Amino acid sequence: MNIKQAVRGRLRGHVGETDLNLTAVMNIFLILIPFLLLTATFVRIAILDLTLPSLDQTRERTVTPTSSVVINILLIKETGLELNSPGLSFPALAKEGRDYAWNTLEQQLARVKTRHPKSQDIIISPDDNIRYEIIISVMDRCREAGFPNISISG
Amino acid sequence: MILNGHTTLNLPTGSKRTKRGTFALRLTSMIDMFTILLVFLLKSYSAEGQIMSVTRDLRLPESTSRKQPAVTSIVAVTREWLLVDGRPIQRLEQVSQQETLLIPSLQGELERLRSISENIGGLSASLQGFRGTIAIQGDRDITFDLLKRIMLTCGKVGYNTMHLAVLEKEQ
Repeated sequence: MNIKQAVRGRLRGHVGETDLNLTAVMNIFLILIPFLLLTATFVRIAILDLTLPSLDQTRERTVTPTSSVVINILLIKETGLELNSPGLSFPALAKEGRDYAWNTLEQQLARVKTRHPKSQDIIISPDDNIRYEIIISVMDRCREAGFPNISISG
Repeated sequence: MILNGHTTLNLPTGSKRTKRGTFALRLTSMIDMFTILLVFLLKSYSAEGQIMSVTRDLRLPESTSRKQPAVTSIVAVTREWLLVDGRPIQRLEQVSQQETLLIPSLQGELERLRSISENIGGLSASLQGFRGTIAIQGDRDITFDLLKRIMLTCGKVGYNTMHLAVLEKEQ
């Protein structure tokens, strides 16, 4: 009997604690959730900017080359990646299994950034049969490493 | 015996509350679920809406870019077709068989678009005319060779700023 009473007491205690008036909260939820579900976008589109050198002669003159231009070139081949930067020499990065050696590329780009902190340009030169997806992920890595001015060269 | 039966019938939780005439629903788990759902939906909520629509039969590559698209004409490259603003231009097999890098059919269509937007811009200064911006929606499996041809053609016509459409990657 003692145990029964104890259990009874505990149960009652619980009921008393949770006795909140949740009507208002439930009303808000019931309005907000359908509204947000209707307006939710699960697939969001972003863009990557890419500017070709203009063919107009008027614009060509406005481009003045600065003295400290560092041109980094990143080749994408079927077999791997190859980064060339003035003053630094990197070994070509062979593929790791089926994937490119992204981690090593990020390390190399970080080294270029420490060597030429003002450098922002990189030229990506993929082979003809490289997939678009690979090019995009290379561009992502370059941008994250601090090279936002990406050019593509065929 | 009767007393015993009486005590067993008089079960702990139910009787007291039914006497009061109210009974509390256990809403805790439901509220938990709603809260999680609400946070998730608020996180994925965007007030801007979708400006660019994705062409069918197309899987865009994923990227960490957060830049929002603008309203432009769209060159779409699906697995079979090359389209401009949803109008099919040429089959990709024919494009890749060409000797020259320039795609004449695409060039013709883009020149037509350019002249239209230049005419619109000429009507009134408040209307935006030709800005040289174009969006490229490419399937993630197309090759660079094809992309190069398309970019060259766009650049040749005067569309020098290209927006490569990508899907935002979850981080």
